[in-house]
Amino acid sequence: MNPFRVAVAVAIKDLRSEWRTRELVPALAQFIVLALLIANFGFQIDARDAPQIVPGVLWLALVFAGLVAFGRTFSAEREQASLEAMMLTPASPIAIFAGKAVAATALLILCEAVLVPALSLFFGTALDPGVVFAVLLATVGMAALGCLFAALVARVRARELLLPLLTLPLWIPFIIAGGQAVQAALGLPGNYDEAVGLLIDFDILFVVLTSLAARYVLDE
Amino acid sequence: MSVVVANRLTHWFGHDMALDSVDLVVDAGEHMAVLGDNGAGKTTLLRVLATALRPTSGTVEIAGLNAFREKRRLRHYLGYVGHTLGLYPALTAAENLEFFCDLQGVDRARVDGVLDIVGLRGDAHRRAGQLSRGMQQRLAIARAVLHEPRLLILDEPDASLGADAADLLATVMRNRTVVLATHDHSLANRLCPRTLNLRHGRSVGTATRLHVVK
Amino acid sequence: MNRYRTWAALAVALMLGAGAAIYYAPTDYLQGVVQKIFYLHVSSAIAAYGCFAVVLVGSLVYLRNESAAADRFARSGAVVGVVFTTITLVMGSLWAKPIWGSFWTWDARLTSTLVLWIIYAGYLLVRRMADPGRQAARLAAVVGIFGFIDVPIVHFSVTWWRTQHPRPVVVNDALPPQMLATFLFTLACTLVLAAVLIGIRYRIETLLDARLRAIEPAPIVSAAPEAEPTA
Repeated sequence: MNPFRVAVAVAIKDLRSEWRTRELVPALAQFIVLALLIANFGFQIDARDAPQIVPGVLWLALVFAGLVAFGRTFSAEREQASLEAMMLTPASPIAIFAGKAVAATALLILCEAVLVPALSLFFGTALDPGVVFAVLLATVGMAALGCLFAALVARVRARELLLPLLTLPLWIPFIIAGGQAVQAALGLPGNYDEAVGLLIDFDILFVVLTSLAARYVLDE
Repeated sequence: MSVVVANRLTHWFGHDMALDSVDLVVDAGEHMAVLGDNGAGKTTLLRVLATALRPTSGTVEIAGLNAFREKRRLRHYLGYVGHTLGLYPALTAAENLEFFCDLQGVDRARVDGVLDIVGLRGDAHRRAGQLSRGMQQRLAIARAVLHEPRLLILDEPDASLGADAADLLATVMRNRTVVLATHDHSLANRLCPRTLNLRHGRSVGTATRLHVVK
Repeated sequence: MNRYRTWAALAVALMLGAGAAIYYAPTDYLQGVVQKIFYLHVSSAIAAYGCFAVVLVGSLVYLRNESAAADRFARSGAVVGVVFTTITLVMGSLWAKPIWGSFWTWDARLTSTLVLWIIYAGYLLVRRMADPGRQAARLAAVVGIFGFIDVPIVHFSVTWWRTQHPRPVVVNDALPPQMLATFLFTLACTLVLAAVLIGIRYRIETLLDARLRAIEPAPIVSAAPEAEPTA
């Protein structure tokens, strides 16, 4: 059972479960609708301002959606018991963690695939591949961190408070660099390449760190 | 040869002492029952033996290895059915088992055989969440023996099984070393020549059955 | 306990000395008396980082070999560090208002100090909310390590962000020799205070740990053997 196969098996299992129960998708859909409503009624957006405000709305929605999506990867009680059963197999904890993170990321990307075009459609900002690329890059790093801390707080009381408290400070660099990248891609002043470079650096750093830490968080 | 040697196992959950200096020795091929009321510490003890929980103090040796230091090496050796079953309700019985085959690194072809043993072959394609509690229990037992472990640790496996519990368990326990926790004294009698009694986390003695009860 | 009293007295005396030094330090031309907050504010910030370095080391050592002492150091460092971070934030706000006109600004230093506070408040919460003992120690250690690494990254990110959107925020960090001397002296005293506080806290944590594990009197178990051969 090489780690890659294990990770793939875990990811497929999670996605299959989600497909059959469809618990997460409605919650994420809510955030999409929320983002669109707030953007429209909460701000005065016209074609001129849109590139300035829409990125902020986008990241706001993604952060909340991310907290929900990653929070659920480890939270259910039965999930904890199943996790214990998985940890008693020879499968590597890193592979199990990676599988769950990949599944949660896939779900979040699905959400983004609706949100980004929707924002573009409703507010007239360009649907730039640069925007899409930046969002995907940021999602990777945010997923690694979000899943690690979701696993951490799953065993702890007050997890609804602790998950955002612990995760948001670690997401700030991604929000800053990602926000800049999206703004630059939409034509505002800013260095897109630098921002994307930073995102890649952060991704590498935090994917490595979370992989190292997974073992300590998942085991008893 | 002793398969399980537990020495002065003590475990605290915060201020509560769940296990108090419990000693335990199980020899190869032996079937041992752990008896005790609710809260006596049976589940805690079994979780420690299954290396799912590290005790506050004390040591566990399994097959001569330090159980916690060599956890990875012992995975193939151990099978565990816990108090909470940890099945995936949205997946079918067969899919649950296939998934664990992948994690255990064993051939998926084993799934059919194992379903036969626990009598779930006909329900292989029903979702685990729709199975009765007894069938879920059997599925959990099936999962525990997928990788043919030499040591089986079962926490109240009979809780939801019906009248044929003893037969099913006897089949599964054959040729394995087993530690089994249960409330059911007569079941323990039938299946396990030795019992360990727990009370308030403390071992109050082991007993060996003198006669075989039919 | 005598040893702790002595050190505590020394630390207090040093802080009083630092207070005197600050009082007699030259007043800044531009900012006036308010500038004197700077001595304690920056010292406090540095002391806080020092405490969190203790948390980092303690956490790494704990994850490596589960040493209870390392865990206690981490715990103590976190408590003292959060206190110093709070002081830093409060003093920073008090300083900002007369100088910049608002209590807060999202520049790199303030933002990363706030993030620091949030992360280690999270550390303390995790310790409290997890199963006490091994689990709390292990999970908190992960938080402590990630937190420590994150703060410079946040600082860097905000600085970088500012270069994309330059704003005229003037912070004059140049110090004439007399002020520098005062600052270094205050810094030294604050670090001593932090070290003493960590030491005292460590002692408290040791005692708390011992009490947690105190053996309760065993419940009465009948002397006669319960186990009889079942026939």
